[in-house]
Amino acid sequence: MVVSLLFLLVGCNSKEASNKDAKDVTESNSIKHEMGTTEVPTNAKKIVVLELSFVDALQGVGITPIGIADDNKMDMIEKLVGEKINYTSVGTREQPNLEVISSLQPDLIIADVQRHKNIYEDLQKIAPTIELKSRESTYTENIDSFKTIAKAVNKEAEAEKRLKEHDKKLDALKAELADEKGKSILTAVVRDTSFQGHTASSYDGELLENLGFEIAAKSNEAYVEINLEQLSTIDPDILVLAQNEGKLVIDDWKSNPLWKNLKAVKENKIFVVDRDLWTRYRGVISSEAIGDDLVKQLKD
Amino acid sequence: MFSVKGVIQTMGSKRTLNIWVVAIISLSLLLIGLFLHLSVGSTIMNIHTIFNAIFQIDQSRETTIIQTLRLPRTILTVMVGAALAVAGALMQAITRNALASPEIFGVNAGASLAVASATLLFATLSPSMTVYAAFIGALLGGLTVYVFASGRKMTHVKLALAGTAIHLFFSSITQAIVILNERATDVLYWLVGSLNGKDWTHVQVASPWIIIGLAIAFLLSRSFSILSLGESMASSLGERVQLIRLIGGLLVIMLAGSSVAVVGPISFIGLIVPHITRKLVGPDYSRVIPISALLGATLLLYADILSHFIVYPYESPVGIVTALIGASFFLYLVRKERLIKQ
Repeated sequence: MVVSLLFLLVGCNSKEASNKDAKDVTESNSIKHEMGTTEVPTNAKKIVVLELSFVDALQGVGITPIGIADDNKMDMIEKLVGEKINYTSVGTREQPNLEVISSLQPDLIIADVQRHKNIYEDLQKIAPTIELKSRESTYTENIDSFKTIAKAVNKEAEAEKRLKEHDKKLDALKAELADEKGKSILTAVVRDTSFQGHTASSYDGELLENLGFEIAAKSNEAYVEINLEQLSTIDPDILVLAQNEGKLVIDDWKSNPLWKNLKAVKENKIFVVDRDLWTRYRGVISSEAIGDDLVKQLKD
Repeated sequence: MFSVKGVIQTMGSKRTLNIWVVAIISLSLLLIGLFLHLSVGSTIMNIHTIFNAIFQIDQSRETTIIQTLRLPRTILTVMVGAALAVAGALMQAITRNALASPEIFGVNAGASLAVASATLLFATLSPSMTVYAAFIGALLGGLTVYVFASGRKMTHVKLALAGTAIHLFFSSITQAIVILNERATDVLYWLVGSLNGKDWTHVQVASPWIIIGLAIAFLLSRSFSILSLGESMASSLGERVQLIRLIGGLLVIMLAGSSVAVVGPISFIGLIVPHITRKLVGPDYSRVIPISALLGATLLLYADILSHFIVYPYESPVGIVTALIGASFFLYLVRKERLIKQ
């Protein structure tokens, strides 16, 4: 009952929106994306994004979204953008609030193909929607998403310029990291009972590979569960840890001789990094920030 | 004179294998499983290395791996496998219901809910506190299903319905807690049931409960046998039915609760092992309980070995493997045995 009412409500809103569109907008671009092709008005201004990497992408071409699925954490967005911005939270990335999205009357919605596949139809009813790869995407896929977004918001020239800057920035980082070239590195998310390694097929894995490192964990899966025994077999030169709060699985490992004999431990090459930056944001700006962070950690 | 043994033997009139043959075969399977379980990890170790590591203390990397990581995991696997299987056998005896098992009966779901909420509510929860939380949850889950399913006559259908309903209800609350919480990914992983990364601390936490629980179950196995004959028959044979039931229930909570607390709700062991065992040795619980323990340990050992190969050389939760084996077995059971008679 409630659900059907909600749909009715959403339906009404979308009708209003499309009526308005018909008046204001005459031109549109066909944007190909993961769920098909969507006609996006060329002057789309009010944009709602449902993943963090899309905030990064829009920021890269100078646009601030009006609505963000920010998991209700304003400071996470502030940290990503680098300053406080004005936007409306549309709930969590896992379950964005369709009512709030609809009330913002957006021109364009950018959603994640993995998380939001099932609500694609509902989102389309609210506004033109494109679904792109973000969650568990690779670095290359992320850059592709950036290009698609640029096309959708009619900022292709800006995007091209930004990507050139990006390549220059990566080259500069590579030069700075020349001493570390070929060293093996493992990024892992550490929790209470799990140690999840990011492989060469993960986002940050591919990025670090581009920067000249060798990724210690290899698999077709982006993330793999690793225990102390496997860690000591892999034995990476550099260990980058994104940690949970509270008790951690590695607390117990630290007393084990296997841990003490790890190369990264002996040479003090273990870095605890910001989890939002390294594993959540993804995108052009954030990847540069990851590179900067790694340089800083290694030089300190 | 009226002989108890006679009654049970007439009950088990179907063809069953010789108890000693079954015991020796399962024991050898267990021993091979123990060796394979110790041998397979990020690298495969040979029998010589394993023996060296266990009996000659040196400082080599292999010795450290075996002594601090693989040995405790193997021991815990054996204990949990035995505990879950015996818990299932006891539940089937108490309720005289072939479908009864820690998961159908809401015991695992209750324990999971309690552990999940406890871990998320109190950031620094000691492992032994987790066990107590699991006990309370297991008790709550079991009792709820019992109350709903018993009233007048506890039929197979009633039990299955009440059990599934309570299981789903508890699981959905657990899900809700998980979704609403930041640190939930941890709990999600635990909810599948995994033996990865378990060390001596976990063995220490679970072993007293499991060892005492199994010992009492072995000692009272004859009484459980009589219980499974039915209430009137049991009391006419001079057994204090209510007392035995109560002890059985407490044992189930001890065995299943401590297992869930340490390794998460590993599914289906408690359901399928007692079944296989009864097929092999008949319905006499003085045989069913020890053989169930043996086979439960063996099954979980092999399942955990298989779990290594899902994303080799990395780890996958053993719960995935037991669920796969268990689900297919369960469907086979439903087709083959026409469980839902009443």
